[in-house]
Amino acid sequence: MVYNMMVTGLRRSRRIALVSASLAVIATPALSDEQVLRIAMTASDIPLTTGQPDSGFEGYRFLGYTVYDALINWDMSSADEVSGLTPGLAESWVVDEEDRRVWTFRLRQGVTFHDGSEWNADAAIWNLDKVYDEDSPQFDARQAGNVRGRIPSMDGYEKIDEHSIRFTTSEPDAWFPYQLTFLLFSSPAQWEALDGDWDEFARQPSGTGPFKLASLVPRERAVLEPNPDYWDEARVPRLDRLELIPMPESSSRTSALLSGQVDWIETPAPDAIPRMESEGMTITSNPYPHTWPYQFSMLEGSPWRDINVRKAANLAVDREGLEALLGGLMVPAVGTVTPDHPWFGEPDFEIRHDPEEARRLLSDSGYGPDNPVEIKVLISTSGSGQMQPLAMNEYIQQNLAEVGIELDFEVLDWESLFPNWRRGADHQTSRDAHATNISFGWLDPFAAFYRFMHSSMAPPSGFNWGYMDDPEYDRLLDKARMTFDQEEQDSILAEFHARMVDDAAWLWVAHDVGPRAMHPRVQGFVQAKNWFQDLTPVTVGE
Amino acid sequence: MNNYFLKRILYVIPITLAVSFFCFSLVHLSPGDPMDAVVSPDAPSEVVAMVQSAYGFDRPLPEQFALWVSRAVQGDLGLSAANGRAVTSEVFSALKNTLILAIAASMIGFTMGCTFGTLAGYFQGSWLDRLVTGFAVGGVSIPHYWLGMLLVIIFSVELRWIPSSGAGPGSSSDWAFEWAYLRHLILPAVTLSVIPMGVVTRTVRAMVADILAHEFVEALRAKGLAERRVFLHVVKNVAPTALAVMGLQLGYLLGGSILVETVFSWPGTGLLLNNAIFQRDLPILQGTILVLALFFVALNLIVDLAQARLDPRIQRG
Amino acid sequence: MSSSTLDASAAHEPLPAAPTKGYWHSVFGRLSRDPVALVAGLILLAILLVGLLAPWVAPVDPYATSMLSRLQPIGSPGFWLGSDELGRDVLSRLIYGARLSLLIGVMPVINAFVIGSAIGIVAGFVGGRTNTLIMRVIDVFYAFPAVLLAIALAGALGAGLINSLFSLTVVFIPPIARVAESVTTQVRNVDYIEAARASGARSLTIIQRHVLGNVLGPIFVYATSLISVSMILASGLSFLGLGARPPMPEWGLMLNTMRDAIYVNPWVTVLPGAMIFTVSICFNMLSDGLRTAMDVKL
Repeated sequence: MVYNMMVTGLRRSRRIALVSASLAVIATPALSDEQVLRIAMTASDIPLTTGQPDSGFEGYRFLGYTVYDALINWDMSSADEVSGLTPGLAESWVVDEEDRRVWTFRLRQGVTFHDGSEWNADAAIWNLDKVYDEDSPQFDARQAGNVRGRIPSMDGYEKIDEHSIRFTTSEPDAWFPYQLTFLLFSSPAQWEALDGDWDEFARQPSGTGPFKLASLVPRERAVLEPNPDYWDEARVPRLDRLELIPMPESSSRTSALLSGQVDWIETPAPDAIPRMESEGMTITSNPYPHTWPYQFSMLEGSPWRDINVRKAANLAVDREGLEALLGGLMVPAVGTVTPDHPWFGEPDFEIRHDPEEARRLLSDSGYGPDNPVEIKVLISTSGSGQMQPLAMNEYIQQNLAEVGIELDFEVLDWESLFPNWRRGADHQTSRDAHATNISFGWLDPFAAFYRFMHSSMAPPSGFNWGYMDDPEYDRLLDKARMTFDQEEQDSILAEFHARMVDDAAWLWVAHDVGPRAMHPRVQGFVQAKNWFQDLTPVTVGE
Repeated sequence: MNNYFLKRILYVIPITLAVSFFCFSLVHLSPGDPMDAVVSPDAPSEVVAMVQSAYGFDRPLPEQFALWVSRAVQGDLGLSAANGRAVTSEVFSALKNTLILAIAASMIGFTMGCTFGTLAGYFQGSWLDRLVTGFAVGGVSIPHYWLGMLLVIIFSVELRWIPSSGAGPGSSSDWAFEWAYLRHLILPAVTLSVIPMGVVTRTVRAMVADILAHEFVEALRAKGLAERRVFLHVVKNVAPTALAVMGLQLGYLLGGSILVETVFSWPGTGLLLNNAIFQRDLPILQGTILVLALFFVALNLIVDLAQARLDPRIQRG
Repeated sequence: MSSSTLDASAAHEPLPAAPTKGYWHSVFGRLSRDPVALVAGLILLAILLVGLLAPWVAPVDPYATSMLSRLQPIGSPGFWLGSDELGRDVLSRLIYGARLSLLIGVMPVINAFVIGSAIGIVAGFVGGRTNTLIMRVIDVFYAFPAVLLAIALAGALGAGLINSLFSLTVVFIPPIARVAESVTTQVRNVDYIEAARASGARSLTIIQRHVLGNVLGPIFVYATSLISVSMILASGLSFLGLGARPPMPEWGLMLNTMRDAIYVNPWVTVLPGAMIFTVSICFNMLSDGLRTAMDVKL
């Protein structure tokens, strides 16, 4: 390596050291013809590599859909359209018209795991046992913990023949296919070969995905290589190597990109973007199904029980000012989904910046300058999808104060705020807060609405943190869930969502646009409107 | 003589036990539920219960402590709550990186400290002495995380000479004595070296001044003894203490590098601790503190024994 | 030992009790003739006053955000020392920050001074097994480097000002107790205390009348030398996110939150650190001066 020669430079003089330092910056990528892409992730550790990744969606993005496949994959090929589903390890699937709890999946044939073993119904069942059957030898509590909550309707599964399996859901659930995108399949043969040791499997995993794991140094680096035999020839990676490096500090990521240590960073700090652009870096972004809200407590004593307060808060926030704060890297949110989405509907309540109207609404409810609304909100200092939580919350605090809503923040670590979500507003860890500020993805109707708004999802079952309990919401959600016709389902969801907006059920603030900064030599990347991204078409030029 | 050594060595046993107890009790000082870090919050309650029993959090506390100690003795510090990997291997791979950093910083600090201290001691009362003393006070008073940021701004942001984060282009397991890695070491090592530099400077200066003030040095000089011999005499007298001070400083650096490692994203025990704190990964927190503290205990022992060996007066004390 | 401390008071009274006003007068006299200590003391006094008078001194509200004037450089109109990531005036935040930063830096030492002295004096005065027992427990804490101990405690307890104060207090109790014990042990064996004991005086009375006055001075001097470390550690904990919480103006925390702007507005981001450094070095110099002025050798 060139580096060896540079060592001598160190001893000689400072001038030479200086030259070689700058040389190294330029020289690193050109060292060989190998196409190496180095990505700095925001996670503080390499996500779990055994199949079901941890670290949220970033884990799925980099060590889920790279090394593994689901029965149904996300189609991440378009930058313009909302990502849809596409067949993965299943070629087709159908729901039983008689009993719509029964789904039959026809598995893809001719697919092999990275170790060469065959993908078939036995492998599928083995993987299901891995996360659902606590008595099976391959049962892995960590993987189970990472995935089971994402597939709430799973009730049973069985092999039909060599290449088909059957699922049963607990009740008719039109959203079941979305849930299956989170179930990834590891190789039973590799696990056997490693004496059934999941820790060892983490170091030498075997899936069916477009990438293979070449090496893993916990907390430091995961190196992926292409799987030339990937079943979808169009998605055989064009890179020679993909290096994933955890770098939780945003200033470290900035410096790593500018100094040429990495080629691509996730979530650059908005303030550093002008500097990166001035040095020729490319900034990509694209709105994706993400919402940054305040979820309200509906418990006795919460000021949010008054619809005027809810509406006033929504009218008080200057979303355009906030957009400026984030250097344009957000889309103002006027509902859980964006207005162009089929689920948005036609609400009467128009969410905008109108402090006058907000003050009027508050005075209708008897609030005023001498009698402000006092509200406590749980916020985090950072976290997956939380964008710039402190800056944004302080901005909102200022906005709301102008109309007479006094916010008091309970600042938690992300690792404390997130578990509180499932515990509810009345749990002691909520410290009597009236709202929680957790951003989330609305990839499917369950994730977007059901888990927050259906009364059956109150803690500890789901994420109905504020104990929302409205029969009309429940009715619409149940109806949508059992409606298997896509268009009809969409129109029910639109009705539901319009009601939610008219009700000002939450305070909607922003949608993230998933900014990424990369060196101009990174080419071919299409940023999908999704939490997940396809790394297979990416190339690294000179 | 042997009595002192034996006593000093035996004394390590109760200290080690007490240190272990302290580290174990850290988990129970913690208000958080260790389960939070283990399962994703959307896991169903039966999964939570199952994982809980798999991790052993449901057993009574004394049993947990007994288990913990007996396993720790065998080098098993449990599993990370955040990622399920063995704490021991996590801690030791990080410890290696911290050692690289701490030793580099010690060498810089020791060399500079001895040089400055000797100069100041020789020219006591001069402007040089005042400058060096001021420098040393600065060294022990400076918040080193701040110094780190200053160096990053000057050398990485403005001049762009050397990188400001990470341990090198490859994984730290590939760490080699090569420029590609060394350039990552420069800033954190210099940052970390200011404290030992300040401490060593102060010690050496005081001792050198003290020795030079002795009448016999005057006498040696009067006899026309070469200045070189006087210097050797000074070195002989100062070296053991300076080394002992440095030995202890190395221990402080190991424990104190957390802030510097955080500033430079250096993948050592400090960064490990920092992550463990924010992920509420108590097994890692516990294990790292234990290993570092035991390292410190051992270092103290070595320094004490070495000093006693070199300076028999100590044994009487 | 502080032999001259004893001598100084002995000159005034036949049976020495606490050092008199005359003694402190002479200490201050000597201190005021030490230019370094004097300057350090004046700087600290100025920072303290500015902090206390913050509402009158600070140009604007330290919490007032302004999205239009984010990350202004030093010397911008209206923002003499620039603005932070939320457009808050850095100068005002530095001024208000003096309150919290000094509080969390000095409080642990004061707490530890009270508790550590009590432990050390009791151990030293009672002696025997009690002494051994107390000092062995204290020794355990010496097995941890100070930073590590602070971080272990603060990390386990979780973020927060109270936890950070508690952790640092625990860190400083052992060294203070150790000094207190050794000073007390030496005073205890001085003849007049033996005499007082022989005359049947109660232990508490002896401690009050004779021991305290003679040992508190040296312990105090030692404690002041810890303030510098305490300042650095307290702000360090905040820097790690374990102490003060946003949006409080506190120097360590400001250093942390502005760190993301290091590529945008580098020189503003380091100002809070300069304050920590100034206060820390001034305390060190003042402590050195105090030690000389009181002629304490530890």
